[in-house]
Amino acid sequence: MATEVEVTVVTMRDIFQDEAGRKSRFSDEYRDQSAQIILDKQDLAKLGAKDGQKLRVLVKNDVGSVVVAAKTSEDNPHPGLAFMYNSPWSNQLVSDAVSESSIPGFKSIKAIVSAAEEKVTQISEIQARIKG
Amino acid sequence: MAICTGCSLLCEDIEAAEKDGALTHVKNLCRKGHGHFQAAFTERTVPMIDGEQVDLDRAITKAAEILKSAKSPLLYGWSNSTLEAQAVGIELAEKLGATIDDTSSSCQGILMERILSGKLPTCTLDDVRNYADTSIFWGSDPSSSHPRHLSRFSYYPRGEKRQKSYEEERTCIAVDVRKSATANLCPNYYFQVAPSGDAQFMEAILAVLEGKIPRVGDKKKMIGLGSILKKTEWGVIFAGLGMVYSLQEKMDLFEKLLARLNEITTFKVVPMVGHYNMRGFNELLLEKTGFINRVSFKDGKPAHGPEHSVVAAAKTCDAALIIGSDPFSALPFGTARALAKVPLIAIDPRRSLTTDGAKVVIPSALSGLEAGGTGVRMDGVKIKFEPIMKSDLPTDEQILTRIMEAI
Ligand code: SF4
Repeated sequence: MATEVEVTVVTMRDIFQDEAGRKSRFSDEYRDQSAQIILDKQDLAKLGAKDGQKLRVLVKNDVGSVVVAAKTSEDNPHPGLAFMYNSPWSNQLVSDAVSESSIPGFKSIKAIVSAAEEKVTQISEIQARIKG
Repeated sequence: MAICTGCSLLCEDIEAAEKDGALTHVKNLCRKGHGHFQAAFTERTVPMIDGEQVDLDRAITKAAEILKSAKSPLLYGWSNSTLEAQAVGIELAEKLGATIDDTSSSCQGILMERILSGKLPTCTLDDVRNYADTSIFWGSDPSSSHPRHLSRFSYYPRGEKRQKSYEEERTCIAVDVRKSATANLCPNYYFQVAPSGDAQFMEAILAVLEGKIPRVGDKKKMIGLGSILKKTEWGVIFAGLGMVYSLQEKMDLFEKLLARLNEITTFKVVPMVGHYNMRGFNELLLEKTGFINRVSFKDGKPAHGPEHSVVAAAKTCDAALIIGSDPFSALPFGTARALAKVPLIAIDPRRSLTTDGAKVVIPSALSGLEAGGTGVRMDGVKIKFEPIMKSDLPTDEQILTRIMEAI
């Protein structure tokens, strides 16, 4: 079985990704800017990425799953902590079961990451899932 | 001069003109604002019913029929509409006995409530420019989310009492789970917190202010932070989603921290609102109902509670009108899925995942570019704007008025 790494995903914003999404939610640019996960160096190495090698990963939990590109974090080591841009891709993993304040856990998503063969999840697939 | 509606800074110094379907002679728009206005030339919506293009009148009539026959409709979005449109929206909710909620419900709402009720001291961004010597970006990253925040107000500009500005007089501090673009501007004053660790970090600040040893963080650095705070003449905390999501039910602790800081010096809070008129909606609904969001008019009188939040109401409504918002992209999968099961009416200038999934799509003019009106900046300053270009498209206000007349 492929190695799995447990992470807490924190979502964040990025000006380039935001700009792309404003121009079009359906562009390749928006997909490429959004469908990413930023992982700790060690975590990425555990998944089999050699230095500088590009890796696609499956990020999944009880809510859903997406295939996204994995990137190395430039920050200090943060094993178990991962970052994604706030987007339809990250929201596939956010639960609608909410706490007392009724705010979804956009910035504390528990998920499991493993290396993936498949292509990055397309926006059309996300639309089809929402439609059901 | 035009106004940018790309974020809740509502920058007032924009120059732009339209020529042959593109923006020309653009001055002062940031990348985000440029993308926002450029959207008017890509991915526009057209009136549609069930995926078929129809004329505008039919789309409006159909929208009115759906809302009229619904038993518990939900009206959601609002933070990208003018105050004028929001006022009609609230009236429509009342007339329909509907639930009305805005994006603040899953975003800055719990902070905004405390600001608007006076529980947290606040100020304008002009005060910040004129007086602030310490700016704390807490769970916020304006370099990414409000690109002109630092240059117009919070760090770089000279102000009445801050002529030496960032070179000598202003200190910027970042508290975040990661080294954001903003944190990179103040590497010496970047405080990393663990995810959901903001409450603990607040306790640690309260401890150092009492001269006690903090339980989290690098002790020396925390004591250093304590002395910066004590020496501050006029400070401000820019509270972002990072802080709000992490604190949630522990918001009281933030009030306690502000109360303590204000015993020592002056400290204010400015909410880092994203959409250009979220605060406007919150203020308007508060004035009309006593609540800033999550209101139901089902029994005539406004009722408020978590059961009327978009996340809950998506599961109980039998029709929804979504205006200027893309919940299919921005809300949890389950919420999007629940909304996709009911007849949806989407009013939006541009195509989104939500308009793609809507039964009825009504195109509208883009505020700021094609429609004028009033917005409320993140700090509560009202800003009026005129459109940059002429458009035949109806405004949100006109569309809502016509729907209401048809009900
Ligand atoms: S900072 Fe915000 S309001 Fe100002 S130009 Fe950029 S997007 Fe527009």
